[in-house]
Amino acid sequence: MIIPRKFKTINVHEHVRADEHGELNVSLAQELLHAADLLGIDRLCVSLPSSEKLVDAQQFHQHNNVVWQAMQLSPRFLGFCFVNPRFPAEALKEIELCISQRKMSGIKLYHQHFIDADEQREILDLAAQLAVPVLVHAGKCTDPGTIAAQPRLSNAGHFLQALRKFPNTIFIQGHIGGGGDWEWNLRTLEGVDSHNYYLDISGSVIDSGMIRRCVETIGSKRLLFATDGSLEEGVGKLMAAKLSEEEMRQICHDNFMHILKRRKV
Amino acid sequence: MFDVNTAIGHWPFRKLLRNSAAELYGHLRSFGIKKAAVWHNHAVFYMNAQAGNLELAKETERYNDFFVMVATLNPAYAAACKDLQYCVRQLGFSALRLLPKYHGYSLQDSCLNELLCTAQSLNIPVFLPFEIVNFRQKHWMEPDQPLESQSIIELCRRYPGVNFILCEGGYVEEMAGLANLYVEMSRYRSSYGQVLAKMIKKLGAERILFGSGSPFKEIEPALLKLRFCEVSEGQKELISFKNAARLLMPGGA
Repeated sequence: MIIPRKFKTINVHEHVRADEHGELNVSLAQELLHAADLLGIDRLCVSLPSSEKLVDAQQFHQHNNVVWQAMQLSPRFLGFCFVNPRFPAEALKEIELCISQRKMSGIKLYHQHFIDADEQREILDLAAQLAVPVLVHAGKCTDPGTIAAQPRLSNAGHFLQALRKFPNTIFIQGHIGGGGDWEWNLRTLEGVDSHNYYLDISGSVIDSGMIRRCVETIGSKRLLFATDGSLEEGVGKLMAAKLSEEEMRQICHDNFMHILKRRKV
Repeated sequence: MFDVNTAIGHWPFRKLLRNSAAELYGHLRSFGIKKAAVWHNHAVFYMNAQAGNLELAKETERYNDFFVMVATLNPAYAAACKDLQYCVRQLGFSALRLLPKYHGYSLQDSCLNELLCTAQSLNIPVFLPFEIVNFRQKHWMEPDQPLESQSIIELCRRYPGVNFILCEGGYVEEMAGLANLYVEMSRYRSSYGQVLAKMIKKLGAERILFGSGSPFKEIEPALLKLRFCEVSEGQKELISFKNAARLLMPGGA
């Protein structure tokens, strides 16, 4: 029931953590690698975002240092660089450092702004120029608590707008199972046909039939395997979908490799 | 395997797959599950929940060697105690399920007293789902939040003679000291960080039960969690079958 190792699965949405000194929590990182081994996951894209509205340049630089340490700990960790678009000059500098010099694989954005907001322009233009993907914390939460806590949480509608507004940027909509009305997201995505749009399957929600519905709605070429902390959930719901060999290969490996091959730096 | 967290019937806010007794039976059996505690979704929404319990008895009749029936009742509604007695004594139900967030009362309400005393006298456990579907994807007619952990703790303390089964999450460390609380495992991490194994160490394997949440959820994640949980095979046997059999089939599995 684990993912067959022949797929060389890449998990595109995971996180590493800092210890009490702000350095990589090595034991937790090793536990993550061990769990990935058990479940048939080869490599993991990791980031360390912050949900704080005002996370400043110094903070996101420290977070990215932790990711950089993880990349040095194991080549199985592929880094994603987190920035806050509220500080555009510092964010651009940080992206240059992380993507160009430290060879991180992509950019991670949280809910400081909607993904189609004007504030994202400089970051998304640079992502397009470098041809690296932008993974975005996303969801269509319907409960008052989450709506109040995450007022700028992007949903599928924001991604469709962003695809029009930033036509050269590669977007990954985070965790279809991250909580929220996933059916609303899929209904909104019906007919999406852009080589710049991907959806990751991560999150703790394992509603029956969800992954099959994702494949039927946007196609296996637009989906990426991911877990975001919910490893058995991610693997279990993927295996439950009983996809074809080709669909599995695309979701687990090939789609993300296509993204990486577009990189220009 | 004994799955203590399954349901049949329609859910008004999302189309469920395999939600008839026959389909659920076939699906669970295909994973090697030998027994399942089951409730009826209609009993959540009928004003008179007992009508849903009667549907459950009728629809699972052909599979009575497999399904163990759980009655869903609203303690604030007429004849709840009478209905529970009828379900257990006449129809062979094995447990009660309470849904305060859906039925509009709190776990502190006095209306619970008579029904919980009846459950105790019938020697049946009481299921407390922390939530049914994840509250972040709630329909606008569903509760805004899951149960409050503190109210569960207080309830367990007020009724030490009643065994409660907490399912779909909600466990907090303070609950470890409650001898009458059992926890269904489907919402806890396993391979990454061994959260489930740590919980078992703290609570004791005797108080953890296997559950899948089918047909709302896929079964595979719960099976993977049990598989990769770093506890002994003997402890896994308790979790996967023996504990549930002891609680829900005191006459023998």
